[in-house]
Amino acid sequence: MPEYPSIVFAGTTDGGAVLDIAEYEKAGGFRALRKARAMAPDAVIAELDASGLRGRGGAFFPTGRKWSFVPKPDQLPKPHYLVVNADESEPGTFKDREIMLRVPFRFLEGCLIAAHGIESQHVFIYIRGEYEREFEVLRDSLEAMRRADLLGGVTVVLHRGAGAYICGEETALLESLEGKRGQPRTKPPFPAIAGLYAAPTAVNNVESITTVTPVFEMGGAEYAKLGVENSSGTRVFSLSGDVVSPGNYELPHGISMRELIYDIGGGVPAGRELKAVIPGGSSTSVLTAADIDTKMDFTSLVEAGSSIGSAGVIVIDDRCCMVQLGIRVSQFYEHESCGKCTPCRVGTKWVTQILQKIEDGRGSQADLDLLLSVCDRIMGKCLCPLGDSDAIAVLSYVDKFREEYQAHIDLGRCPFDGESSLEGILAPSELHAHHGHEPAHV
Amino acid sequence: MSVASEVQKLKKRYPDPLSAVMPALQVAQAENGGWLSPDAIREVADALDLTPAYCLSIASFYDQYYLEPIGRTHVEVCTNVSCGLAGAQQVVEAFEHELGVSAGSTSEDGAFTLGTIECLGGCGWATVVAVNNRHRLRVQAEDVPGIVEELRGA
Amino acid sequence: MSELVSVTVDDRQVEVPKGTGLVEAAQVAGIEIPVFCYEPRLGPPVGACRMCLVEIEGIPKLQAACTLTVAPDMVIKTSATSAKAAEGQEATLEFILVNHPLDCPVCDKGGECPLQDLTFRHGPGNTRMTFQKHTFDKPIPVSPLIALDRERCILCYRCTRFSEDVAEDGQLIARNRGAHTEIATFEDEPYRSPFSGNVVELCPVGALTSTLYRFDARPWDIQNVPTVCTSCAVGCNTSATIREGKVTRILSRNHPEVDRGWLCDKGRFSYPHLRAEDRITTPLRRGRKGLEEIAWDEALDEAESMLREAGGSIVTAFSGSETTEFAYALGRLLRTGLDAHSAVLPEATSDALEAFRLPLSGIAEAELVVVIGDDPVVERAPIVDLWIREARRHGAEVVVCSPTGTEKTAPGAGAEICRELASGRSALAKKLRAAERAVLVWSGPGGGGGARLAELAHELGFADKPGCGAFHLPSASNPRGVALGWAVAGEADETNPEPIELLLVSGDEAASNADVRALAEQANRVIVLTMFHELAGGWADLILPSTTALERDGTSMNLEGRVQRLRRAVLPPCPDELAWISKLAARFEVDVPAHAAGVFAEVAAELYRDLSLEDLGVHASLPARHAYVAPAAATTPDPVESANGGLRLQRYTPLFSGPAVERVAELGFQRPGRDVELASGDARSRGIANGDAVVVRSNGTSVELRARVNRRLLEGVVRVAEEHAGDLHPEVEVVKA
Repeated sequence: MPEYPSIVFAGTTDGGAVLDIAEYEKAGGFRALRKARAMAPDAVIAELDASGLRGRGGAFFPTGRKWSFVPKPDQLPKPHYLVVNADESEPGTFKDREIMLRVPFRFLEGCLIAAHGIESQHVFIYIRGEYEREFEVLRDSLEAMRRADLLGGVTVVLHRGAGAYICGEETALLESLEGKRGQPRTKPPFPAIAGLYAAPTAVNNVESITTVTPVFEMGGAEYAKLGVENSSGTRVFSLSGDVVSPGNYELPHGISMRELIYDIGGGVPAGRELKAVIPGGSSTSVLTAADIDTKMDFTSLVEAGSSIGSAGVIVIDDRCCMVQLGIRVSQFYEHESCGKCTPCRVGTKWVTQILQKIEDGRGSQADLDLLLSVCDRIMGKCLCPLGDSDAIAVLSYVDKFREEYQAHIDLGRCPFDGESSLEGILAPSELHAHHGHEPAHV
Repeated sequence: MSVASEVQKLKKRYPDPLSAVMPALQVAQAENGGWLSPDAIREVADALDLTPAYCLSIASFYDQYYLEPIGRTHVEVCTNVSCGLAGAQQVVEAFEHELGVSAGSTSEDGAFTLGTIECLGGCGWATVVAVNNRHRLRVQAEDVPGIVEELRGA
Repeated sequence: MSELVSVTVDDRQVEVPKGTGLVEAAQVAGIEIPVFCYEPRLGPPVGACRMCLVEIEGIPKLQAACTLTVAPDMVIKTSATSAKAAEGQEATLEFILVNHPLDCPVCDKGGECPLQDLTFRHGPGNTRMTFQKHTFDKPIPVSPLIALDRERCILCYRCTRFSEDVAEDGQLIARNRGAHTEIATFEDEPYRSPFSGNVVELCPVGALTSTLYRFDARPWDIQNVPTVCTSCAVGCNTSATIREGKVTRILSRNHPEVDRGWLCDKGRFSYPHLRAEDRITTPLRRGRKGLEEIAWDEALDEAESMLREAGGSIVTAFSGSETTEFAYALGRLLRTGLDAHSAVLPEATSDALEAFRLPLSGIAEAELVVVIGDDPVVERAPIVDLWIREARRHGAEVVVCSPTGTEKTAPGAGAEICRELASGRSALAKKLRAAERAVLVWSGPGGGGGARLAELAHELGFADKPGCGAFHLPSASNPRGVALGWAVAGEADETNPEPIELLLVSGDEAASNADVRALAEQANRVIVLTMFHELAGGWADLILPSTTALERDGTSMNLEGRVQRLRRAVLPPCPDELAWISKLAARFEVDVPAHAAGVFAEVAAELYRDLSLEDLGVHASLPARHAYVAPAAATTPDPVESANGGLRLQRYTPLFSGPAVERVAELGFQRPGRDVELASGDARSRGIANGDAVVVRSNGTSVELRARVNRRLLEGVVRVAEEHAGDLHPEVEVVKA
């Protein structure tokens, strides 16, 4: 297997972490920060543009361009904010956690470079509430940096989430950070102009921000040489599911799915066959074994009918019923829907109900048509991408595994006869006072 | 340390004190045995000069604020796709059996609450089980009796 | 003249000002884009319901029209010309109806329901939903006034946005998330806010309904009579819904300058007092055996003889809520017919503020609002409180100088504050002088009925600044109109006679006023015009049943100086006052028209210079400013007693008080508890905690009340509602019971 460069995780070996600031500095840490601080903010942004770095959270928006949308302080004399989205909750994605645990200084250094680029004195890191250990590591690392006088007058606030996937959507995150319910806003206005506290704000993902550090270490142009056109640099792929060696793997964009799953991931367990791959987190369309040679980069995956999303690669083998998969995924969106807009609030639940009916063997042909119609009626009508994600996922399962869905209808039962790997899997149990019912089983 | 004094410190962290409502609820919950009773919510409201209703609208939005009493040990098993494929349902059933409580409930003696939850961001180390918000990785059904014994002994 | 932008809506081209929203632009083109959550009065649009989806050329995804403003040459297609938009809107309705119960036959909203209307126009003809709908216990009481049906709720969030972003009471909230979201209050606490009833009008379905109106009528059974509320001096424009000759509810009639479509709960829900059990419908005379019912002719005879016997030594005590015509007619009878010129109002009024007129909507545009006075604005003129909140949301600085305000000042200090601000020494004074759009508000007793405020406004040069204005918030609804009506009814001195042979008490507010009762004790004979038995039963010699605003034609001048028209919504159970005053006046050779229109014509000729009732229109306009006329100097200074170590008692009249409110059981929960408000420090030093039973003592009397710690209250001051304050003196002590 070829040796792939470690860019994000540079400075660590064999899954180790660098948690000691002296060790980090000795290995060359904060070089990039000093270099960036000596540059004008516009030059910082230009360096990012040259790198071709695009958001690693899922939207893949060019990072330099995003920062350039933030007006200069003299254009808009309000405090400027950098908000880091550490609310990683996309099923199949677990890379930001490992980044924060293993290379916290690299990440925090990137925060400070970014703050300099958008001329911000104020950084907020919104970290999901479930990442308690990661919060502690960041807190301690931040304290070490504060004592070492590295913050340069920038205030960094660690804000903990409390369990809501929707708060990973940038405007919902801002609402949550402001102390309101985490419901997305309409755009315009865009966060760059009126974001946190109605002030100019850039919202970036953890991996994106961490990558800023090596961009300044090696220079933007050098970074752009990695990966492929349209998808420069390396990516931390989260590999999970029915695969022998799941884990986070930092690889250049453009690597093939075959190499990732088989050469690096060890392939599916013995005796089983690859059935499906979700390439970019549960919000992306499923691909089949026939797509195994697709390159993992933005353009190739779009051409294949899916998306790179959060690079959360879920491998599914032939023991899994695709209707059950649909139910579990749809339940996720139903549970996480914020409830603000009608099609998502109502549609995600309805889709789940129809899928359950089909799985229970009570589905008719009309129900299959209804399922597709309801997904179409959600698609493109919602306030934010959450509703669309449910529709995209389910529509792709039906599209790629039509015969399996049809079999449920024709047979009047699930053809896996209780042997599917997801058989009986429970939806989230609700502990809030309002719920009197038990969690649903698939 | 009182909730009120802790909240005053939290307010100072943010340009707008309303932002302190989430950490304030976290603090009040921790001080109230792991859940937010109506009085705990009133205390937060009072400390932030908000209405209890407003604080309730925030607390009830998120999964990690508990509006009902919670067991001393809170066990949460992820049942999302990757953990599901790795046998999460069997892990859940093992916990149900060992703890004598069904998912979504608290044991009679108030010792354990068992729940199933959405993706904890540990898919590569499935199945992930959170015990009082600290994650145990690669949990399989056969590991459960040992875990429960450990938790009971703690 | 703002820049115009040209857009096309469904192939119709229109030009609208830059910044116009798409829904409004479509309206200009004569096209209605359907909406649920969109309501500009609630703040920026949220784009939640997805009802207003339209197709915009060049944008692949459907857009929520309410969230966008026009761009040059934008091409917009609504469901009328875009199949995609039509599908989108049908999808929204299908989703809304998935859980919506088929309650129309039993739902109050049926027939005036936007969901029904839009489903007919844009919705699916059939349901495809075969699963069990989400059910709830229903209806549940959000308060004694409002019922909530969570099954009908479409989660448009209008109600929660009103609670949070308009009334800012933070009581009605959304609980949980996703499909489990529900509208709720905290625990089982009622939605207690002076403005709660507005959510009933805002709700586009039958989820929030009025308990008072429940099952009362169908929209095709009713008529709406446009009139004006006189519960306070704002004069909100209302529609009285009538069925079979009874008022069944009050709705807003949205005057954009006065009330913006909001009503307070007192104005909205006190109408049942028209049918109170103890309402008097026949005249009563005190005889040897107590009060006996007499016929109207006999009553007028009795009144005539009492008036004649009094020989001009008559005082008329007004409530201040009479129509201007009523006051004028009474004035003609008494002043012209009997040479009795003395009249009293509960509070002084001053015409000097007419130089600084501003519509109430001008408050929302202000950069600086300064409120002076002892009483919270919301207790005196609730809607003004909403205007001030809107100003603050728009970035205005709001300074409140009162015992509970942002600047804590002692009760009675208002006049001194005005003088200080006029001197221009303080930072605030300088800001006031420099501002182009500043508003002064006097909210409380004293101050010469706005005179001191007018002096300040004059000193600040407000007369030359159209964005600046000053308001006095009187305790009654039409004191200026009453004073003016009385004033033009005669000429001559108006001092109180000694002794008072006859006291004529007009209206329930006057009948329950302690000062009027004191006058009644001095007077030889008393005639009371009242609606309710218990108010005057003990001390009146002759009681004539009175009508109330909903039963009257006439005009009323609100606190802006705007003259607005009342229309009779229902017939009173007794003759209209103008009718019998006219008859009575004739006996004294005074000719007064028996109908409001005729009286108005006479009054208008004197006061309003050829304004006709028709000119007032559906939404009356605010007359132009008058030239400033300096008010008379204060005759008695406002009392600013210094407390000698004790606590200073501030009595106040809560919004939810008075004979009308007392007779509506459902309003009971809004009434003040038997409370005494204490400042934090005063409570602490006395070992009193919030909710403790306490005894409030003054020289010779004491009252048992419950302590309420008010963090915003000035130390040294305690507040007790008038109705609970008994005979307490201005200086009190408070101890734990």
